Amino acid sequence: MKRFLVRNTPGFVFLTPWLIGFFCLALGPILASLFLSFTHYDMVADPRWIGLDNYLYMFGRDRRFWKALGVTFSFVALAVPARLIMALAVAMLLDKGLRTISFYRAIFYLPSLLGASIAIAILWRQLFLADGVVNKVLALVGFEGPAWISDPHTALYTLVVLAVWQFGAPMLIFLAGLRGIPRDLYEAAEIDGTPKWRQFTRITLPLLAPVIFFNLVLQTIDAFKVFSPAFIISNGTGAPSDSLLVYTVFLFNEAFKFFRMGYASALAWVLLVIIAFFTALAFLSSKYWVHYENERD
Amino acid sequence: MSKFTRRTVLAGMGAAAAATALPAIPAIAADRSIRHFWWGNPNRDERTFKVIDIFQQHHPEIAVSGETVGWGDYWTKMATQTAGRNMADLVQMDYSLLFEYSRRGALRTLDEHIGNGLDLSNFDKGPLSGGYVDGKLYALNIGSNSQVMPYNTRLLEEAGVTADPITWTRDDYAAACEAITSKTGVKGSDDLSLVTENQEVWARQNGRGFYNEDGTLGFTVEDVSTYWDYWAKLREADLVRSKDKTVILDAPFAEGGMIKGETAMSMMWSNQIVGLQALMQDPVGAGMVPHKADGKPGQFIKPSMFMSLTRDAKDVEAAIMYMSDWVNDPESTAILGLERGIPANPNVRAALEPNFTPPEKVSVDYFNAIQDKVGALPLPAPKGHNEVRDAYMRIGTDVVLGNKGVAEAAEEFVQTASDILERAK
Repeated sequence: MKRFLVRNTPGFVFLTPWLIGFFCLALGPILASLFLSFTHYDMVADPRWIGLDNYLYMFGRDRRFWKALGVTFSFVALAVPARLIMALAVAMLLDKGLRTISFYRAIFYLPSLLGASIAIAILWRQLFLADGVVNKVLALVGFEGPAWISDPHTALYTLVVLAVWQFGAPMLIFLAGLRGIPRDLYEAAEIDGTPKWRQFTRITLPLLAPVIFFNLVLQTIDAFKVFSPAFIISNGTGAPSDSLLVYTVFLFNEAFKFFRMGYASALAWVLLVIIAFFTALAFLSSKYWVHYENERD
Repeated sequence: MSKFTRRTVLAGMGAAAAATALPAIPAIAADRSIRHFWWGNPNRDERTFKVIDIFQQHHPEIAVSGETVGWGDYWTKMATQTAGRNMADLVQMDYSLLFEYSRRGALRTLDEHIGNGLDLSNFDKGPLSGGYVDGKLYALNIGSNSQVMPYNTRLLEEAGVTADPITWTRDDYAAACEAITSKTGVKGSDDLSLVTENQEVWARQNGRGFYNEDGTLGFTVEDVSTYWDYWAKLREADLVRSKDKTVILDAPFAEGGMIKGETAMSMMWSNQIVGLQALMQDPVGAGMVPHKADGKPGQFIKPSMFMSLTRDAKDVEAAIMYMSDWVNDPESTAILGLERGIPANPNVRAALEPNFTPPEKVSVDYFNAIQDKVGALPLPAPKGHNEVRDAYMRIGTDVVLGNKGVAEAAEEFVQTASDILERAK
């Protein structure tokens, strides 16, 4: 134990700011929300213990809960693969050893920095209105676009497109991963006359697997927590017809619009369990498809 | 939600810094202080901060700090401050949430201060009565309003609409939509299918209300289905604003159909006429919600906003003094004008009258014209009202988009609303 502490002291010292933040700021509210999830709490009167009622209502009777889950799963299933493919494709383009690479890297990363902002979500809303820019451009080439954000069938896709556009962070990580693949493997493949596609499936993908895994886990967690764009585009309501009712918007409304803080706490814990489940699933599956170079066989 | 959290924390830190920075300067001189919290818009905030300055000049020993956010964030912040036992001394209160806050003990009664710091000797009794809950005064009326159908006077003239907008009927309104659309090319009206405030007037004209006395839903399936049918007919005849705009819920005020030049008529609250005119070129007129041919009055006059003294108020005497000035002081009331609604003090109204701007004149004339055509003020909405309103808009969206039949959707709404109210008890 002592040796463990001595050896890891520098690590703990560097972690200190985060640890202080976690124990002083985050841990209290997290535990409080676990307690509140078993209460009826409207923020004005004191919380009242109701046992498992919140959870029973959620799974048994709340149709909007299931709707919100459905919307969120659709979003995750569409946005995560699309964003990862986009990120990998751009990273491979940039990996060609261009001289201006740092310039392009910055340009492609830009949307990810902007993406967290309210301004982009508002811009997105303007773009996809029935008489917005997207439909005006489509009209120029003879298409009549739908009323994207007013139509329950298409509203979620605008959110997915926004998520894909913000591919910068996984792209940078992919780029670093690509740089780490030894060039001589490709040279040997070239000499053997291996086609490009096979080089990709046999060299790039397997050696990149740890990085893909890393990105997959982070992006999945991120996608489950999508909030701002859905909130802004639907003016906080999840409209039209709850098609933009992602889980966190539902949770936010339960908490801060309908003042059901106890129920919202229960919702938050269920989301935590869902995310933990999918993260665990990714880790369990990883031993079948992720191989680390320095692993002993 | 890491990004969201980080931003809110930063914003919160910014707000906290600003909030402590504002009163910091007068706080050196003053050992008494009050906080006033309201929902606003830039114009309202400017007026309110001026009033704070005036109070400050009269009472340099009391430091007043003002906090303001928009309507949507207001109730979030209010709930958070209530939970944290850190409410502002004085808060702006809305009729729909008065029961919620007063019955849970978040507000203090004002009765003991009347005539004892709070001067209400010149205050109309009608507007005052809206602030009573269970026989006690919890909220002071700081303006009254009523439902209104604003219209673009130029377009109605061009279309040759002759019906009197104070007495017109539902059929007159539909005919006006037809005339406007065919003669001017602008659609007659916003599609009000998702506007609960208008549905409420419709139901009252049928002799019912939004809620019954016991807090259950007052609308019948028929009230809802006939209302949605009325608008469906106008929509099918292409006389109202496009569907894709109609289903955007809680859209910003500035995106309204009349402001965008897409429609000639709409619905809102009468104190908003001043704000509407500020964003339009053509002069705005004010009409009543169209009447049922032989019906009861549907509209009512209600307190548009209140000021309430909270449980967490520290210097009650100073807060009451500030409150009293708000409704009596000639200088302050002149600055507040009609922005929050029609003041309940006749002396204040008389003093304002010579200086009315044209839209203020429109809203006061309208207010006078409807006095004998309105019914009793309904009780404040029961718990769960916010959610009922959301459900109405959500299910109505399916009707507007043609994904659900009117009859089926009306049934669904009444059932959903009853479930919500039951759960909220």
